[in-house]
Amino acid sequence: MSARATEDVIAALAAEAAPVRPLAPPLARASRLLLVLGLLSAVTIAVLGDLDGMMARYAGRETMMMAETGAMLATAILALFGAFALSVPGGSRAWLVAPLPTFLLWIGLSSAGCYDLMLRRGLGGWGAVGDGTCFIFLLSASLGVGVPVLWLLSRARPIEPLAVATLGGLGVAATAAALLQFFHPFAVTVIDLVFHLLAVLIIVTTAALLRRLALRPG
Amino acid sequence: MHPFRLQQIPREAELANGDDRDWEALLAAAQGGDGEAYRAFLQAILPYARAVARRRLGNENLIEDVVQDALLTLHRVRHTYQPGRPVRPWLAAIVNRRAIDAARRSGRVGAREVSDDFAFETFADPDANPNEAAEASESLARMMTDLTPRQKEALELVKLKEMSLAEASAASGQSVGALKVNVHRAIRRLRRGLDRDAAE
Repeated sequence: MSARATEDVIAALAAEAAPVRPLAPPLARASRLLLVLGLLSAVTIAVLGDLDGMMARYAGRETMMMAETGAMLATAILALFGAFALSVPGGSRAWLVAPLPTFLLWIGLSSAGCYDLMLRRGLGGWGAVGDGTCFIFLLSASLGVGVPVLWLLSRARPIEPLAVATLGGLGVAATAAALLQFFHPFAVTVIDLVFHLLAVLIIVTTAALLRRLALRPG
Repeated sequence: MHPFRLQQIPREAELANGDDRDWEALLAAAQGGDGEAYRAFLQAILPYARAVARRRLGNENLIEDVVQDALLTLHRVRHTYQPGRPVRPWLAAIVNRRAIDAARRSGRVGAREVSDDFAFETFADPDANPNEAAEASESLARMMTDLTPRQKEALELVKLKEMSLAEASAASGQSVGALKVNVHRAIRRLRRGLDRDAAE
């Protein structure tokens, strides 16, 4: 194409130079979102959570529970920071792998918890205990958290929608998983863990598939 | 260095001319709606944008297309620039992204389309079948009336006048995305019409 055509493009764009309000820095936007999510989660847990049940489930394994929940929260925070960082041009690509160590730690600790349960209960620690409620909880909580997250991310019109949607999806799924810790009515078996991971996969994949619709890429 | 600003700048692009302070001021003014500042900014960044595209692409023919595409993207995301921050990493990320997209598109086209050196020999003399040619022309004209005005405009600009998407977008006011969709739908509708005619 010719340089002349580029001049025409510039003239056309300059003619459309309507004022725009610069977005706040991604770090600040992500922090504000996490603050609101944290407050809403705290209120939800205080009103509806089963803290006594949770402590009973993890009796003698409090450190493990805190580490597992911490890994989930760290994954959520890093993934959401990464999504916001990459939603604007020039964000570091290091954010793509930033949540990976904490995600692996989360899966590792959850698996260790399952293994521990199997040792204590034998085959009883293998099969599914839940009736699918936790699976539905994860998907519903992700929907509740995911809609505002994707809307906020879409305001930047990301030029790399796949990376932003995938990180955003992971952040949402990790947030939902951390919330679930406070509502889980039973210890997690291997099959329960598989369903948890399936829910995470569904959430991340859905976010990635909806990227064009949800993020209005630039 | 700011953790959200670690985008690596291509070495060649670092050598491109341009006063960063001027660019920052012009872009900030453009965000405020100053059309002249915006025009000056877009003009000033062209050599840098071309250098970034050239660094990423081997194909010289694609560079101007990528630059135009990057300008359109820049227009849509100009609100993501934070006044006072360096412009170059922000701009380089946009051009790089569009260059990667263009390289992928070009790779796909290269993999799926073949050049047939003897194709011209299969075309008959235009005067050989005047009746069929007239019928085909009539049929095509009828099918064109089935298209929406936006589809017709997109098809004419992109396929008949062979404009780039960026040029067609500038000429029609339709976004690149809308053009792609309208061209796709127009071709699909024409193809259905041809199938219908063939069946009749």
